[in-house]
Amino acid sequence: MSDLPSQEPEKAGSRQKSSVNKTNEAFVSTVRNAPNKTTGIDAVHINAAREMVKLHTRDRLPTNSVNNRINTIPKPLPRPSNNPHSTQLPQSSFATPRPSASLKNIKMSIPAKGHEGPCTNPQCAHCGTVIIPAPKSSFPIMDKPSITINDWSIYTIKRPILSSQELDDLESRYDFPLPEMIFGNNKVRLVSDQFGTIEFNGLDALDSLNKESDFKVSYHREWLEARKNKMLSESFDTSEKKSKEISNLDLSKITDIETIKNFDWTYSVNYKGSITGIEFKPTNDPFPIDRLLKPDPILFFDESVLFEDELGDNGISVLSTKIRVMPTCLLLLCRFFLKIDNVSLRIRDTRIFIDLETNKIFREYKCQDCEYDEVLSKINSKNLTDPKSLLRDSNWVANNIPVNSVTTETNM
Amino acid sequence: MDLDTDVPMEDVSEDQPSYQQKTTKTTTPDLQKENIGDLDQWIEKLKNCEPLSERDVKKLCDMATDVLQLEENVQPVQVPVTICGDVHGQFHDLMELFKIGGPCPDTNYLFMGDYVDRGYYSVETVSFLVCMKVRYPKRITILRGNHESRQITQVYGFYDECLRKYGSASVWKLFTDLFDYFPITALVDNKIFCLHGGLSPMIETIDQIRELNRTQEVPHEGPMCDLLWSDPDDRGGWGISPRGAGFTFGQDISEQFNHTNDLSLIARAHQLVMEGYAWTHQESVVTIFSAPNYCYRCGNQAAIMEVDELHNRQFIQYDPSVRPGEPTVTRKTPDYFL
Repeated sequence: MSDLPSQEPEKAGSRQKSSVNKTNEAFVSTVRNAPNKTTGIDAVHINAAREMVKLHTRDRLPTNSVNNRINTIPKPLPRPSNNPHSTQLPQSSFATPRPSASLKNIKMSIPAKGHEGPCTNPQCAHCGTVIIPAPKSSFPIMDKPSITINDWSIYTIKRPILSSQELDDLESRYDFPLPEMIFGNNKVRLVSDQFGTIEFNGLDALDSLNKESDFKVSYHREWLEARKNKMLSESFDTSEKKSKEISNLDLSKITDIETIKNFDWTYSVNYKGSITGIEFKPTNDPFPIDRLLKPDPILFFDESVLFEDELGDNGISVLSTKIRVMPTCLLLLCRFFLKIDNVSLRIRDTRIFIDLETNKIFREYKCQDCEYDEVLSKINSKNLTDPKSLLRDSNWVANNIPVNSVTTETNM
Repeated sequence: MDLDTDVPMEDVSEDQPSYQQKTTKTTTPDLQKENIGDLDQWIEKLKNCEPLSERDVKKLCDMATDVLQLEENVQPVQVPVTICGDVHGQFHDLMELFKIGGPCPDTNYLFMGDYVDRGYYSVETVSFLVCMKVRYPKRITILRGNHESRQITQVYGFYDECLRKYGSASVWKLFTDLFDYFPITALVDNKIFCLHGGLSPMIETIDQIRELNRTQEVPHEGPMCDLLWSDPDDRGGWGISPRGAGFTFGQDISEQFNHTNDLSLIARAHQLVMEGYAWTHQESVVTIFSAPNYCYRCGNQAAIMEVDELHNRQFIQYDPSVRPGEPTVTRKTPDYFL
């Protein structure tokens, strides 16, 4: 659950059906002004609830014309200091904020040129321009924001987890059980008519798994021993079995249980994106971090989970994407994060950088692994009530475990 | 305060006699008028999503221990009853559930575990369900899920939430000590076997479950662990998870178990499904999941299963209770990630 906000949400203890007809904003402020103190929980009826969703979905529609918006691109929002998910930039880059972007030469379209249907881009509550991710806890069935800048159109799609029908349709594609939460319709898609398409989606990612995993859960041995003893005492004439054989950990040989279906249960994908039309070649050029340190306005921002599995409550395995689009460049991060409690931690990051002015594309692929105890020993637990909470924060983990390999590629 | 007519003493006399009820008659401590007053007050408070004081939680857990320790490992339940799956601290969705399924005690409920962790309101959710259990012991049955455990709650949220809301771990300790007394399975009218996870290779008959000593922390192995953890699988026979622990059971296993024990159905929870319920093993097993939009982002529906006097089953699906306050809180601002 690394992705859940650690803050407890404001309690909106009571609601009354009559409030549903008010505008969303008025409604929210009503709730805020009188938390907890009114009459009991009066859960909004399903239909009323749907009305509610419509209301605040409508509130997020853009109200300004595109031209207006370009003129009013805001200064970058101050990053909330208490947000553990935001990466701390070096202070120096903000000491003299010098946005690199000149907006005059940008051709921008919101939504993207190829967008079908009405624009559903979530809008910044303050200025109406910055595109922010959809609220997580509301229930829009689908969010599909998009933007075009120069040659590139950026689309993100967020939908619920796959339905039983959709899972059945996929049955022939995978010979292993899919992750518990599979957002198979979620994707990030970067399209250029001239260059090709870069897409990240969970289903393609799952095609890249290894055949099996070397990891076992922390109490594997304990579990196996208990099973073995049980089986031995029940169904084996132990006198015939030599101790050598008994110590064999292959359970299928000493029990009647034959099915150990091997697959990479940690879902450690080896995924660098689904690419069409673009050829990447290794490069010695450094990944252009300096460009990303500039406080240019963020024109489009979104993040979503592609799949997530809690490994039977033995940790977490999650593949997620994050994208920010600035006037002259964009950064897309697709991160695989694995935590097996008391066993191991792993990060596999794919970063795509596109220079929207020159169309130079960088792809960086970075693998990190570390044993659980080793990471835990790095935490100075004196000041923390729950030191292990850091292990649930993939940003913290990424900054604190060794890098095994990095490859950088480019299209030019 | 008037004595409520719906006190459990009345329930005891109205149902047909069974082993379990005889036990209850002789040993269940009568709910004192004073306790009923307390309970009703706590229920009202909790309905507003306000947690109880630590002192009241202590009182509640003492009362609940008295009630739950007398229940059986395989707790008998009468029809009609509404069977529910995981709730996971989604308090407002639980209120929605009672709205959609009908208020308790007018409707009988059977919950199959996982009340805490992941959602923001585990404290309120488990307090509410335990209050209802003590107040209407024959109207509501609460089984143990794999999250009703000391170890799991320390990782998945309930422990942290208790620290945050009470400033210490004492409420967490009170509840996790209470969890040891929760029954682990239920048998609806001798026909529907209900539990959180699934079957165990060490359990062939329901009588074998009656033999277990359940009042302990959920172990890492053994039949009690399997009952709370295992999953049905498309492959036949017993499967071992590649994780290195835990079982899956195939259709042949389910059918054999139902045949041996003269059951019509195994109802279990434990797994997220988009539609809120899912049939497996050609309708010999059903999975019920009652946390809509699980973790506030899966977009799934929730479901409950109503079983009437004639054993007809009906599923009711529902969406999350939409709470306008929430989106503004969980919305993320764009950040300059690298």
